[in-house]
Amino acid sequence: MDAAGPHLPDRLAEQVRPEARLIVLNGARQKEVLPSPEELTRLLEAVAQARDRNAFARLFAYFAPRVKSFLIRSGLTDAVAEEVTQEVMIAVWRKASYFDPGRGGASTWVFTIARNRRIDRLRRSRLRTTDHFLDPSDEPDTPPSGEDIALMTEREKGVRKALATLSSEQATIVRLSFFSEKPHAEIARELGIPLGTVKSRVRLALNRLRTLLDNDP
Amino acid sequence: MTIAHHPSDETLLRLAAGTLGAGPALVVAVHLEGCAACRERLAGLEAVGGAILHEMPPAPLSADLFGRTMERLEGMPPTPVQDRVPKRQPALGIDLPRAMRRCDVGPWRWLGPGFKWSKVGIAGDPEAKVMLLKGRAGLHLPAHGHTGLEFMQVLSGSLSDERGQYFPGDLDEADDQVDHRPVVGQDSDCVCLAALEGDTRLHGWLGRLLRPIVGF
Ligand SMILES: [Zn+2]
Repeated sequence: MDAAGPHLPDRLAEQVRPEARLIVLNGARQKEVLPSPEELTRLLEAVAQARDRNAFARLFAYFAPRVKSFLIRSGLTDAVAEEVTQEVMIAVWRKASYFDPGRGGASTWVFTIARNRRIDRLRRSRLRTTDHFLDPSDEPDTPPSGEDIALMTEREKGVRKALATLSSEQATIVRLSFFSEKPHAEIARELGIPLGTVKSRVRLALNRLRTLLDNDP
Repeated sequence: MTIAHHPSDETLLRLAAGTLGAGPALVVAVHLEGCAACRERLAGLEAVGGAILHEMPPAPLSADLFGRTMERLEGMPPTPVQDRVPKRQPALGIDLPRAMRRCDVGPWRWLGPGFKWSKVGIAGDPEAKVMLLKGRAGLHLPAHGHTGLEFMQVLSGSLSDERGQYFPGDLDEADDQVDHRPVVGQDSDCVCLAALEGDTRLHGWLGRLLRPIVGF
């Protein structure tokens, strides 16, 4: 049965390997092949240009479980996280034409949608009028060039590498800053340090992150 | 003009993560409009958010979630409904930044000799403490401190305090360690957009002056 999937080029296999997991499907163990950043961009463009349902199904299979997981980690209940995940995926479908691959990768774009939906939930404003200022559906200023897109793809990879390079304490600080509404308290608890020293630890972690992001574009 | 004062790393991280309050987020968004360097910094931090999303362990979904989502999509109009109707905003004598186009902006109101303010309302967050401030050339603002962060973006004219000089495009973040006494530059009136974080209160004269009028 190993001939069933397409053979992955080495470069792609390289990207996939760290996260490749075994999932149980119909009783048989199969490898879940994660789409590459380039593939996710192509899928979003297929949704934007052709309302391609198969492309959307693949985006859904990849993003929905991760968005839900992210929202649960941010403190939403399973049921609410699933509701918000559905809203996020609907926004992905409807706003795909606003995705600007010259500005950021597909994961980053979906992250910003999930972030804004989470803000709406936490503010309990069921009105759809919350102003986010950073709206991923703001029109791109100019169409991105191939060079922009290549640069963004590189950044995406550089960021993943940077996260992996941070010390575990600094990576924890950065992650908790994304998950938690009140990150300082949670960072203090998680690292077992007094609240008063959190601010300087956060500053150090962000300095380090900035150095890594600047040096490895 | 070169921008000398930028939001801190932590402020941009909080904006990227979605944990910065609506008022400060507006002030930083205005800064970003004029500052390519900070837009780049923010893009890097949002990409960190994307990387964190990517590495999340997938959570199990209800079996019918995809089906239900497709059903909801069937019933929707093909393009998103735009709520881009510009708010009615009074003529304040300045061009408001794009980031403020969906804000409710009040008329200039008297606050003291040569000193005016205008209330800025943010859709979805009635608690946000944001205002435009206008001081005439040479005005000495009352000395003040704050219990939390104060964000201030210069829109026109200039300001200075014990820590530096602020020109259009500059964003100043003052924390609870800062007690300052801003002075408006001699050349022209100064207009800036200011926000206080969460339950931050001003103390000193300015607090006593503003609290009964502005409510914070
Ligand atoms: Zn800046």
